Order: sequence, then structure tokens, then C-alpha cells
Amino acid sequence: MPKIKTKRVGYNLDMTPMVDVAFLLLTFFMLTTQFRPPEPTPIDMPSSNATVPLPDTDILMVQIGKNDELFLGVDAQPTRERIFESTIRKQLQEANFPAIEDSLRKFKLSDAFAVNRDNLEKMIIAARFANPKLRPVIKADVNSSYEVVDFVMKTFKKTNMPTFNLITGLEGGMGNSNN
Amino acid sequence: MAAVGAPEPKKSKKGKKVRKRLGFRLDMTPMVDVAFLLLTFFMLTTTFSKPKTMEINLPAEKNDQTQVEVAESNVLTVRIMEGDKAYWNIGFKPPEAIKLYDTDGDAKLAVSDEFRRMLRENRERIRQEVGEDVMVLVLKLDKKARYRNLVDIIDELNISNPPIKRFSIADFTEADGEEIAQMLAGGAPTEPQPKEKKK
Repeated sequence: MPKIKTKRVGYNLDMTPMVDVAFLLLTFFMLTTQFRPPEPTPIDMPSSNATVPLPDTDILMVQIGKNDELFLGVDAQPTRERIFESTIRKQLQEANFPAIEDSLRKFKLSDAFAVNRDNLEKMIIAARFANPKLRPVIKADVNSSYEVVDFVMKTFKKTNMPTFNLITGLEGGMGNSNN
Repeated sequence: MAAVGAPEPKKSKKGKKVRKRLGFRLDMTPMVDVAFLLLTFFMLTTTFSKPKTMEINLPAEKNDQTQVEVAESNVLTVRIMEGDKAYWNIGFKPPEAIKLYDTDGDAKLAVSDEFRRMLRENRERIRQEVGEDVMVLVLKLDKKARYRNLVDIIDELNISNPPIKRFSIADFTEADGEEIAQMLAGGAPTEPQPKEKKK
């Protein structure tokens, strides 16, 4: 080699500022992250141009899967307990189910649970008793049939909640194309 | 290397000499590695977007105060049947078929321009006739229609300029089905009076 390379002996780079920033970011992301609760069924939401964000608390969510299954979810444990006491306990007692307390404990931890149509109205009423501020929300799959959605909307109406929200995803790359 | 050097040796008050720790270095590399790993993880898993919602107001049941009388010529009825088939009519006029979506297949479905134009033209015409933007849209979905149809149409109303606030969701009754079946069968104008049967 024609050129002689100078060896860099004992080269030290102070990485402290970089590490500081890295930890700062790490703390930020750790504190702001909210993990998505496990979904009872994958739901492909319809997209829309709606911009109202979903509130964090006081939500009564009815989920409708693509095969028209119904799931009900509330975010507070006392509300869940109330729902359990109002409908499920009676049904379990009638069926002579042995471990009612165990199922209550498990029920209180579930984010969403399958319901059948006959129970939905009773459960919604129980949930509203426990928390009158609950905001009804429908999260339905694009391909669920309108019949189920209509049933849920009628139930909301019957339980005196005529105002509710439909959860939608963001419209991808489609502009506002009127006019 | 990320490392901490030894702190300056301090002398205690009594003048006792503290043993100097010469050349104390702590290798921080593993800690920094882990920190970056976690940072990357949280950065990639965080989603800042919240799900969006659209609000629906249904009239409360058995509440006569919310009933509003509307001239029939201002009512645009849109009926949706199975398979994304759409029909529209004004007042008691016979329904007309209209394409709801532009592309077939399940990929990106967008509300068709034809549908948008129909909305805009009817609205404009009613505004010119009455002098006010009084069009009321009644949405009737058949039980076999898809949920997507509902969201797409409401979204269409919300993004039209200015948004169409006056719409309602009504039941799809048997009479609606018959009206459409009649239209599909004969194509003859069907007035509400039954005397118009001659075709």
C-alpha cells in the first residue's frame, strides 16, 4: 500500500447523550402504549371518512362478527358483575351449574363475551343500571348482514338509547370526491 | 463505548484517605442494547390512531313529539336489497334502479359516481323548487343487505357538501319489496292508485 494508514489508538466516542435520548423515547413509548385487548372474533371494519374518535371509557360495545355472531363488551368490572348477576347467574342456577363463583370471576375479566339475541336487551339494561353514562357503540364486520345490525339498533332504541356510534376504519387513500 | 468513568476521589471530613479506584469503567453496552431493543419494539407496536366513529340518531320510540311532517315531494327514498342493489325514488314515484358501487368484486368498493350524482341532482332540484335545502332521505335496507351498505351511504351523506343531515333509517317492509318486484317485472309506472294496471 502506498499510503500509510494512521492507526486510531484508543478512540473514544461519548455515547451518553444518545443513550439519554434513547431512554427518553423509550419511556415515552412505554407510557403511551396501550395494548389492544384480545378480540373475540376478527372484525373487518368498514371504512369511512368519519373523524370523531372513539372515547376511552364508558363504552358499551356490541360487536358483530362476519357470520353474524353477537358479542357484548363493557369496560368496567362492576358493570360486568351487574350483567352477570342480572342474567347469567339465574341461567346457571337453573342449569345446576356447580362453579358459579368461578365463572363470575372469569366473566369479570373478559373484555367481550358472546351473547344470544334473547339476552341482549336484558344485559344492556343491567349495564345501564350499573353505569348510566354508558355510550352504545356498534362494531360490525363489513360483511355482516344488515338484519343483525338492525336488531341491535332496535334493541338500543328499545332500551332508550337512540343515539349511538358505529365504529369505522379510516378511508384509505380516497379523497373527498364530491363535486 | 458507553461507559461511566470513576467519580473524582473525595476526601472525607476527617482527612482519611479514600482509596482511589483507578480506571473504573462500567461497560454499559448491554444495557444500551436492551434499551434500544425495547425502544424499537414500542415504536413499532404503538398506534397513535384511535378508531373513528360515526354517530347515528334514531328517533326514540313512541314519542310523538319527534314526528315531523314532510312533503312527499321532498322525500328521497333509497332502498337497498341483497347483492348491493339500490333503488331510489322521490315521494310516491316508482323506484329506479341505480348502481351503488363502482367496481365489482370484493376489493376496493367505492360508492359510484352515478349514485353521487343522483343525490346531488335531487337535492339541487328540491332546493330550487322550495328555495331551501329540505330534502329528506329515507334509507330502507332489506334484511339481506350488508352492513357495509349502511355505512357507505351514511358516509356519502356526511361527506357531501354541505353534509346531508336530514336522513332516517326505516324498516324495509313487504310493500317496499313488492314495489320493487313490480318495477322489475313490468317497468311500467306504478302510481299509488291501483287503476293504473293496464301497462
